[in-house]
Amino acid sequence: MLLPKFEFHEPGTIKEALELKKKWSSTARFLAGGTDLLVHLKKKIITTDHIISLQKIEALSQIRDNKDSVEIGACATMAKISGTPVIKEKFSALKSGVDNLGTHLIRNRATIGGNVTNASPAGDSLPALLIYKAVVLLESLDGKREIPIEEFFKGPGKTDMKVDEILTGFRLPTPPAHSGAHYIQLGKRKSSEINVVNVASFLEFDPKTKKILNTRIALGSVAATPIRALKAEALLKDKIAEEASFYKAGEIARTEDCKPIDDFRGSAAYRRAMVGVLTKRTLATAFELAGK
Amino acid sequence: MKKIINLTINQLAYETAVEPNKTLADLLRYDLKLTGTKKGCDTGDCGACTVIMNGDPVNSCLVLAVQANGSQIETVEGLSTDEGIHPIQNAFVEKGAIQCGYCTPGMIMSTKSLLDKNSNPSEQEIREGISGNLCRCTGYTKIFEAIESLRS
Repeated sequence: MLLPKFEFHEPGTIKEALELKKKWSSTARFLAGGTDLLVHLKKKIITTDHIISLQKIEALSQIRDNKDSVEIGACATMAKISGTPVIKEKFSALKSGVDNLGTHLIRNRATIGGNVTNASPAGDSLPALLIYKAVVLLESLDGKREIPIEEFFKGPGKTDMKVDEILTGFRLPTPPAHSGAHYIQLGKRKSSEINVVNVASFLEFDPKTKKILNTRIALGSVAATPIRALKAEALLKDKIAEEASFYKAGEIARTEDCKPIDDFRGSAAYRRAMVGVLTKRTLATAFELAGK
Repeated sequence: MKKIINLTINQLAYETAVEPNKTLADLLRYDLKLTGTKKGCDTGDCGACTVIMNGDPVNSCLVLAVQANGSQIETVEGLSTDEGIHPIQNAFVEKGAIQCGYCTPGMIMSTKSLLDKNSNPSEQEIREGISGNLCRCTGYTKIFEAIESLRS
């Protein structure tokens, strides 16, 4: 397959990248890992006259541990995120998400910013970003802007990012003590698969009373964007952290929170059933991890 | 407009002019005649085009040649020496891990990357190490055995 012709730009700073984007506007695309963009260009799903590569902008691929939060650059690859100690220790659900994307060959190139701006409802890193309350960091020539990730997704392939903006990264607050999180993705095979259902859960509990203080559940592949299971979360507030509560939350997530459709990867009914199972399982594991 | 790029392939320095829309896989195969690297799907699913770029295995069909400017590339052509074929290649031959041979260069480069980082991979690590490479002939058993035989 041939790639269409385009002009290639390789700015060294965010400012230069933004100037190029302003100049060429919607006729230009940012290139990060290229594992989606180049496929879409080859298949003529999208066209573009200008490619602005972000590869040479070092600031975009940094991962910084600020103790109370971690900042992940938009161009950090999945492999780099997975191998970063603070992610392994404190953001296990995100590690699990990035470890499940594509194949290890893809993960050496694919970036978290690309995964988010592609805004696939099935995106592997997205549920974890939702449950860790990630803040999306955007920049344009007019200044910087921050937006909670739940407000960022507008539909399949659609986000709140403006044409003259660049996604620079994400800030994730460090999870508190006595909290845990877990991610499970369900596909037909383990490697290189688009998810049928993917669920991440976060849980914080009071070790004295065993009551759930805080929980966040994110569902992927069962709506136009990854979504929070807000009704299931509300049900869990102040409940005792135990299997029965997790089961009930799964039932609410299954019946009230998700809005799946039928497609060739799975039926809506199957997806719904799996939302129930995976919500329960991710909560149970999150609780187990929270107790450690 | 063509861009001049400099890169090192199998420890040889290359300077070449490429169109921006040329992939690294096409640069290797069509411009530099290093046809050991294969192209299967051309969309990053099959792994036939696997090369090692700056120490990490990648799908060369999803890397633009201009993005490889300044990088170190290893392809299957770089493995054999005057003394003969590489131990990985030898193991694939010995164990019969080759049928049509089309996935072999990619499999071998993934294996090299795996063993470069971990000379004694577990069964699980071997399976994960070649999980980005599809083989439609062998059922993977012989390939697995070849890699297993190389463990230190």
